[in-house]
Amino acid sequence: MELLANLGTGFSVALTLPNLLYCFSGVLLGTLIGVLPGIGPVPTIAMLLPITYALPPVSALIMLAGIYYGAQYGGSTTAILVNLPGEASSVVTCLDGYQMARQGRAGTALAVAAIGSFIAGTFATLLVAAFAPPLAEVALKFGPAEYFSLMVLGLIAAVVLASGSLVKAIGMIVLGLLLGIIGTDVNSGLQRYSFGIPELSDGIGFVVVAMGLFGFAEIIINLENTEKREVFTNKVSGIWIKWKDLKEALPAMLRGTGIGSVLGILPGGGALLGAFASYTVEKKIAKDPSRFGKGAIQGVAGPEAANNAGAQTSFIPLLTLGIPPNAVMALMVGAMTIHSIQPGPQVMTNNPQLFWGLIVSMWIGNVMLVVLNLPLIGIWVKLLQVPYRLLYPAILLFCCIGVYSLQNNVFDVLMTAGFGLLGWIFVKLECEPAPLLLGFILGPMMEENLRRALLLSRGDFTVFATRPISAVMLGIAIIMLIVIVAPSIRKKREEAFHE
Amino acid sequence: MKPATVLAAVLLAASFAMPTAAQMPAWPTKPLRLVVPFPPAGATDILGRTLAQKLSEALGQPVVVENKPGAGGAIGSDMVAKAAPDGYTLLIATTSTHSIGPSLNPKLAYNAEKDFVPVVWVANSTNILVAAPNLPVTNTAELVAYAKANPGKINYGSSGNGTIVHLTAELFGSMAGIRMTHVPYKGTALVMPDLMSGQVSILFDNIVSAMPSVKGGKVKALGISGAKRSPLVPDLPTIAESGVPGFVSDTYFGVFVPAGTPPDIVLRLNRDINRILESTEFRDKLAVLGAEPVGGTPEKFAAEIRTETAKWSKVIKDAGVKLE
Repeated sequence: MELLANLGTGFSVALTLPNLLYCFSGVLLGTLIGVLPGIGPVPTIAMLLPITYALPPVSALIMLAGIYYGAQYGGSTTAILVNLPGEASSVVTCLDGYQMARQGRAGTALAVAAIGSFIAGTFATLLVAAFAPPLAEVALKFGPAEYFSLMVLGLIAAVVLASGSLVKAIGMIVLGLLLGIIGTDVNSGLQRYSFGIPELSDGIGFVVVAMGLFGFAEIIINLENTEKREVFTNKVSGIWIKWKDLKEALPAMLRGTGIGSVLGILPGGGALLGAFASYTVEKKIAKDPSRFGKGAIQGVAGPEAANNAGAQTSFIPLLTLGIPPNAVMALMVGAMTIHSIQPGPQVMTNNPQLFWGLIVSMWIGNVMLVVLNLPLIGIWVKLLQVPYRLLYPAILLFCCIGVYSLQNNVFDVLMTAGFGLLGWIFVKLECEPAPLLLGFILGPMMEENLRRALLLSRGDFTVFATRPISAVMLGIAIIMLIVIVAPSIRKKREEAFHE
Repeated sequence: MKPATVLAAVLLAASFAMPTAAQMPAWPTKPLRLVVPFPPAGATDILGRTLAQKLSEALGQPVVVENKPGAGGAIGSDMVAKAAPDGYTLLIATTSTHSIGPSLNPKLAYNAEKDFVPVVWVANSTNILVAAPNLPVTNTAELVAYAKANPGKINYGSSGNGTIVHLTAELFGSMAGIRMTHVPYKGTALVMPDLMSGQVSILFDNIVSAMPSVKGGKVKALGISGAKRSPLVPDLPTIAESGVPGFVSDTYFGVFVPAGTPPDIVLRLNRDINRILESTEFRDKLAVLGAEPVGGTPEKFAAEIRTETAKWSKVIKDAGVKLE
């Protein structure tokens, strides 16, 4: 039982008192910054990097990793309570989580998110421990052609995110694609729609768009009508989760864990797709899909589990191949470099203490997070009772600090305000921002990979069909397209018969 | 210009110059800031933070690192170019911001030569040429022969159009007389999976980040891009000594202050940083980054910047690299 021996090594490292303390301070700090809207793990880890100079490498990484997955927990809290997604994956949590909070079920939503994250975290940790090297090989099978097909599949699935009109959803996706184009084109170095403004040359940040469209717009809407201003704190029905709710949520959590774990392995933004994919699956297999977007518990449980599972398995490409799959992992590479450890195929053999210690600490950190978060739910829900005249300015202030901290640039704060106005217009037009965000994220990645795949194939389009993984995904995309379009075709035909 | 205006200008200049000279010994009386025009945890950032810590001890005032990333380092550099030349704003910059950027983008907001005073050449780093495991070559000469025998088959990855990784490969191709297809990515780390799976054939990458993959047998090391071998891989020959004579590509890292900063302050900073460069602790930190300490006078740094600017602007022109 080599796995057990390895986990033993891990526990012996992670269970020492200093490392437990670093783990705890990491997850606590992560939870806090996750809850504060806008202040994400990237600036926090960046700020703490110099402090970790003095720590032993294992302790430093345990703490930094703790901040990362702690922030995932905390991020869902703000998404559920005030409709503010701190990062890409919590956009999905906003959809049904915030609706649950409006119905007075904030406690249930928060508990489901915490439990789902814990189950996912446990499973994903085992997966990393047992199969990291072979899974890394799977990641290598994904070249530009495969990523392109995956993005196509993702975009078609994005239509499902919307609970309203199909045409509006497609319109929002396309608008997202256009916004995603802004910035420097990787292939030609050409500036697109940056109007000579240097701050736009790297494109618009995700947090800027998400904060504006979700958070700021929500506040504007609520301020607009004082009579109808929602007070959902009065109808909070218990802060603890009921057995019936848990039974409903559990299968979704398990499915989300599976989806998130698999997609998290892909270094090209796979972890991001987990939550979206899980939501799509839950909505498709639900008996009554119309409940989604109106507070369906599965719509919180699945994506939250997927999100956390993906956060854990995204360590696989980092630790086994040395490839950072996202900005946070790139910072972890920096942290390792400072300590003279280069992430890559040798970490496991050269630094087994570090590798297994980090993996076991992730599980311990997840236990701490559940213990920390379940009692906190009561406090978070109470937060909603804070009068709006105090709550809103506070949220706005934290958002501005958070957005500013991304690049230390005031321009980003102004842009967020602009997107807030745009979000308000969208609400008035009954257009949902979630598909826009998915288009915004996937569009640039899809274009980049399409052009890269064609460069590599010297312009031959058949690569997408001749590479098996790519072909399968395009096939699924076509089937999904038919499923989405078919009902409207049938409707038209019926209308024709009636005439 | 009217005589009166000239007189006024002279008087004005004198009134500025005198108190500055008188106040000189008092510098620094408040915290300094060192602007890093790149995101946290990159080589420039780690270098900047290590330097800032040592500089705080030497100057007796905190040196605060401020990351101002964006537009390939142009946003942070521009901020320092327009900052007050009082010795309290420093920039740590590289070949990208001060030699390549200006040649590549004529509309750059700052003038790399006129808006800055070079303080000291802190360090130099070189890249390593790595190849896909399935490419049937083991050294630079074999790569060149293979590329000539199989025209149009070699793909090289880069961290984007107009980056030093891209231009290094262009320089390599033109000096070796081979044609290769450029496949840009958003960073060399993202090229690695496609290099490992053999879709991309070669890549010029930072030695420190590429070596684990080389040691793990995931990619092959062919040569060092710099003028001399790296202490990190002493057995690996340079590209110049193994097939492409005269080929050199490396990156300088150095400290700049805004133009107009009093020369005394520039000299003081130069002296202090040179002293820091001699400490073993700082040298060890540089080794971790795969960089070598350089040091020397401000003039030596200025000369290096001129040489590199001339070299890269020629590469850019010859390869026809454009951002518009």
